[in-house]
Amino acid sequence: MPNEIVAHGAGVRECSYAEAIREALAQAMEADGRVFLFGEDVGVYGGAFGVSGDLFHRFGPERVIDTPISELGLAGAAVGAAITGMRPVLEIQFSDFITLAMEQVVNQAAKIHFMFGGKASVPLVIRLPGGSGTGAAAQHSQSLEAWFAHVPGLKVVQPSTPHDAKGLLLAAIDDPNPVLIFEHKLLYKTKGPVPVEPYRVPIGKAAVRREGTDITVVATSIMALRAEAAAQRLAAEGISAEVIDLRTLRPIDFPTVAESVRKTHRLLTVYEGVKTMGIGAEVSAMIAESEVFDFLDAPIARLGGAEVPLPYNPALEKAAVPQEDDIVAAVRRLVREGEA
Amino acid sequence: MAVEVILPKVDMDMETGAVHAWKVREGDAVRAGDVLFEISTNKAAMEVEAPASGIVRGIAAEEGATLPVGTIVAWICAPDEQPPARAEPAEVRAHVAAGGSPAPAKPAAPAGAISREPSALRATPLARRLATSLGIDLRQVPGSGPRGRIVSDDVDRHAGEMQSTVASAGARNGAVIAADARVIEAGRPRVRRVPLTAVQRIAAQRLVESVRTAPHFAVSAHIEMQALIDLRARLAPRIEEQTGIRPSLTVLLARIAGHLLPRHERINGSMEGESVCLHGDVNIGIAVDRDGELMVPVLKRAGERSLAELTAELARLRKEIEDRAIRPADLTGGTFTISNLGMYGVDSFSAIINPPESAILAVGRTVATPVGRDGQIVLVPRATFTLSCDHRLVDGVLAARFMRDLREAIEHPEVLI
Repeated sequence: MPNEIVAHGAGVRECSYAEAIREALAQAMEADGRVFLFGEDVGVYGGAFGVSGDLFHRFGPERVIDTPISELGLAGAAVGAAITGMRPVLEIQFSDFITLAMEQVVNQAAKIHFMFGGKASVPLVIRLPGGSGTGAAAQHSQSLEAWFAHVPGLKVVQPSTPHDAKGLLLAAIDDPNPVLIFEHKLLYKTKGPVPVEPYRVPIGKAAVRREGTDITVVATSIMALRAEAAAQRLAAEGISAEVIDLRTLRPIDFPTVAESVRKTHRLLTVYEGVKTMGIGAEVSAMIAESEVFDFLDAPIARLGGAEVPLPYNPALEKAAVPQEDDIVAAVRRLVREGEA
Repeated sequence: MAVEVILPKVDMDMETGAVHAWKVREGDAVRAGDVLFEISTNKAAMEVEAPASGIVRGIAAEEGATLPVGTIVAWICAPDEQPPARAEPAEVRAHVAAGGSPAPAKPAAPAGAISREPSALRATPLARRLATSLGIDLRQVPGSGPRGRIVSDDVDRHAGEMQSTVASAGARNGAVIAADARVIEAGRPRVRRVPLTAVQRIAAQRLVESVRTAPHFAVSAHIEMQALIDLRARLAPRIEEQTGIRPSLTVLLARIAGHLLPRHERINGSMEGESVCLHGDVNIGIAVDRDGELMVPVLKRAGERSLAELTAELARLRKEIEDRAIRPADLTGGTFTISNLGMYGVDSFSAIINPPESAILAVGRTVATPVGRDGQIVLVPRATFTLSCDHRLVDGVLAARFMRDLREAIEHPEVLI
């Protein structure tokens, strides 16, 4: 395995998002014999995006298991393993394929704990590479996280940095409930500081990535990175944008968003999923319903994916999801013109 | 689990009280320690803090309504929780009390209609909120946003421009706003509006009440200070050794007043309704300034305590005021007040009585003054004392007798022994 790891202070070094996830998996498997990884091509091949890498060789075929192509079967096996005391981590090769496993995730994993009066729990983690930008077209590029954030009994996280990818995955493996981790395919190669030791990023806690006074930009996954870059450009024109990386969609960290909007008086949400019925609608409604309503000095705006199946054509694919320029323009419009 | 918010007992003999002003509204999110409301006692404004974090629901006390101590006035609930049924929301109760049913929802304004009603104006929630707090009529504010929408900057700008045409910022709905006109930015007049603090607002109301109800008159006396200065010089090192603090002239005067007032019971009395309340204890309030806020901490039983005790006590009260840790018990129960502005170089002044007390002693600076003595002009240190009295309780002779005794005690402090 090529070593891309760079020394970065005491116990912290630079590594990629994919490496951070692999490290979390390895540390979880070392610490707890109940943890195992399974999915399509996660073993010998090292994962479709190379995330599991050498784990098959390090932990063997009993703990890093290549499976047949049957998402419903995999999800059912994962739920069963979790109920009987294991700590399965299931990789769905492309998050789009989770549609095949909806029954197990939504009707079983999310509900068993409640329907059996708390006698059983489902400590299951599902890793879901999602998002567009790789030219994988309409059936391999979607962002379906909002579907699952709608389901009580599930937890849904979306790390945007290598640090959070490792910390949220370890927190998810610890969690006694089913947790879905939506990873972004374009983020796998991004790098950032990651502590060597195991650590947890709390589920349900957003991160303020940049402080600002004129507008709050609530973004998820790769959009948090684009929002940060946009905020940097906007600062040069005198607009101070506060960027919040939501990190967890369910349970959502409303207080952090509310506190920010109370200060900035404006709210823009940015997310890759299709705009209609999405994360941005939920965040907007929470603010509109709350006492922070009285502090709004402009309409609330949403910037989401276009209302189309994601195109294969690279130019159209790019145009179908918010880019840095779109965020800059939307912020300008809200702050300067008061228009959503 | 909803946490109840009660009207607290902040003074020993308090049985009823009133929410003076709510600082939160139904549905507001609060954190433990946030100010929920102000209550007023007969001496102090008190801010009551949230006992828990959550959403304020079931506000059940109207501002100004007298309620028994311990009454539940609101609840702090979890976001999805309703308060227990017995605390109905205040609006509902108000409707019931008024014999009416809840008002039907107003019909929505037709889309695009321009109405002169503020609710139909285009304005952001923040602009509306700001306009309400500044008492600005949104109909007068030109909107700079899309389709004429009024944004908060428009309200700010309008507030600034109003200053040039409106002479005063008045009191509206009981909310007094102090205006501080300044000329800045190339001669453009601008108002800086600073809401009164809770303490200032209560002080303002009490002072207005005092001037309105108590017919004030004042008597003055120039009193020679040498004997008191000498006494202080002798005592200071001893008291400093005991307490670490040098006794101030104010403490000596409090001790003297404490000694004299049992013999001047009307000056130590208070007007309560149709009768005069005569107090067995002499509790001396000392007027203290904290960043523009007038506070009157009370030295309890000032006549029965040693100078060292009073010195330490006043130092404690001043520190707690400075630290904003003063307890209501230390701000209440006064029977007489001393206000000393001598240290600011004031020669003499007359003070407004601190109700319901009947008198207040204003102390000017000590000045070396030429006086005639045995056919000679000599310089003696002298200060002017002015006693403001409520003529309903205290007439001129009673005031004069007190001033005679005060002069005797200050010029011959050995009478204190």
